Amino acid sequence: MIDATDAPPAGQGGLSRRHLLGGGTMAGAALLLAACGSDSEDSSTDTTAGDDDETTSTTKAQAAAGDAKVAELAAGLEVLAVGTYKAALDAATGGKLGAVPPAVATYVKTAMGHHQEALDAWNEVITAAGGTEVTTPNATLKPTVDAAFAKVKDVTGAAELALLLEQIAAQTYLAALPKIQDAEARKLATSIQTVDQQHQAILLFTLGKYPVPDVFQKTDKAVTA
Amino acid sequence: MRVDERGLRELITESQDLQSDALAGARAGLVDLADLRHERGPQRPEPEQMERFNAGRRQLLQRLGLGAGAVAGRSVLVGSFGAAVTAILAKPAAADTALDVQQLQTASSLEKLAISAYAAALGLDFIKNGNPVIVKFAQTTMMQHDEHKKAFQAQTTALGGKAQDTPNPIFLKVVTAATPGLKAPLDVVKLAASLEEVAADTYLVDISMFEDTKSIEIMGSVIGVEVQHLAILKAVQALLEGGGEALIKIPTDVAALPAAAGSAGFPDGAFLTASDETVAPPESGAVK
Repeated sequence: MIDATDAPPAGQGGLSRRHLLGGGTMAGAALLLAACGSDSEDSSTDTTAGDDDETTSTTKAQAAAGDAKVAELAAGLEVLAVGTYKAALDAATGGKLGAVPPAVATYVKTAMGHHQEALDAWNEVITAAGGTEVTTPNATLKPTVDAAFAKVKDVTGAAELALLLEQIAAQTYLAALPKIQDAEARKLATSIQTVDQQHQAILLFTLGKYPVPDVFQKTDKAVTA
Repeated sequence: MRVDERGLRELITESQDLQSDALAGARAGLVDLADLRHERGPQRPEPEQMERFNAGRRQLLQRLGLGAGAVAGRSVLVGSFGAAVTAILAKPAAADTALDVQQLQTASSLEKLAISAYAAALGLDFIKNGNPVIVKFAQTTMMQHDEHKKAFQAQTTALGGKAQDTPNPIFLKVVTAATPGLKAPLDVVKLAASLEEVAADTYLVDISMFEDTKSIEIMGSVIGVEVQHLAILKAVQALLEGGGEALIKIPTDVAALPAAAGSAGFPDGAFLTASDETVAPPESGAVK
């Protein structure tokens, strides 16, 4: 059997060299969005700039505003994911889901940790650009998820709901990628999109389904800002 | 070991149906690529694009410890791999070569290499006569990589470039060197995971550097699948290393899976990150 040391514990991947590079991405995205934010302010106050400069500033401001919307949308989805996994964990701990296999318990804790880190990353980007930290779940999806969660009676039901949430999140990131202007912000979105895809693969495997069902990742469940 | 062959076949069929649906959508998206090419004409880089290419090159050089002044005298890489990367990156950007096209060509070369590697693995006795789930995974994954390659090739052509259909020379050497050591399923799974990691890490960097939005869409949809291959291979690797080969089956015996199986599929933690050793430089698979 596998010893727990065979796999990286939740969150400790962050100590690896690879993860440290990811931290650099977050900081880069935050700084670049902040810089765009400054450009945005400049564009509204600098009346002496030439036409080309004004056009450039306006374009940058529009790009920054678009990126900020994506960041806020992403943060709202991450709040929802963290909250839902927390609710599932509480239900499991309270014995409301029946017997919980060890692998599923590990998965829930690990995935919840990932989404919390993703939320923190987006909030870092948002606040660095002068925005307000997102602490509330996506308002469009929250009622639907709550209604679905109320019907969850066992581990399989919880896994199905988690799968749906991961699909929505990953597909939303993918749909947003071409719209994100800042390269580092796009890289951050990709780095989270892909981990959400990995969550799905493991969930599908635990549900007894083929773990990589699509040749190309879809976007039919994506939500927009 | 009990394997529900019928169930597995049904799952594969279901998977292939889903893949067909996805392919139909992807191909529909590719239909307008020819129009795009017609609109854009022969690809010629704009000054901004050249600057982005060179900025990307400088960034890559720095990441590899091969920045200005260091190319000739120092390398964090060893042997022919380091020499090859140094030679590629030290070469000035060709005036008529676009970064987007190079990245797509290199992506095609990585997909070509993956297809070849999975095909070779399926020819090994201990794979083809081994765990049927691993066999089906290898067959399905090989087919998915083939579709990825076709998508990248189509987009390359749409942007005015030549389609790449040879394996990436840098990582071909890695695979060639590893091949004699493939003695058991675990060896193959580790090699396959390494190739998936190279593809994912390369695409992560590429997506941030693309200018063409259609290329972002295509590569974004591909990377989302490569990382799933990686996750499953890492989980399978953990099971094999722990003596749990009998647990590699569909339907899954979830209750019997060890706790670590719930996290083994996420080697990078919360964020996919690219390491120096696993990114194919944009020029490495470019058509010369």
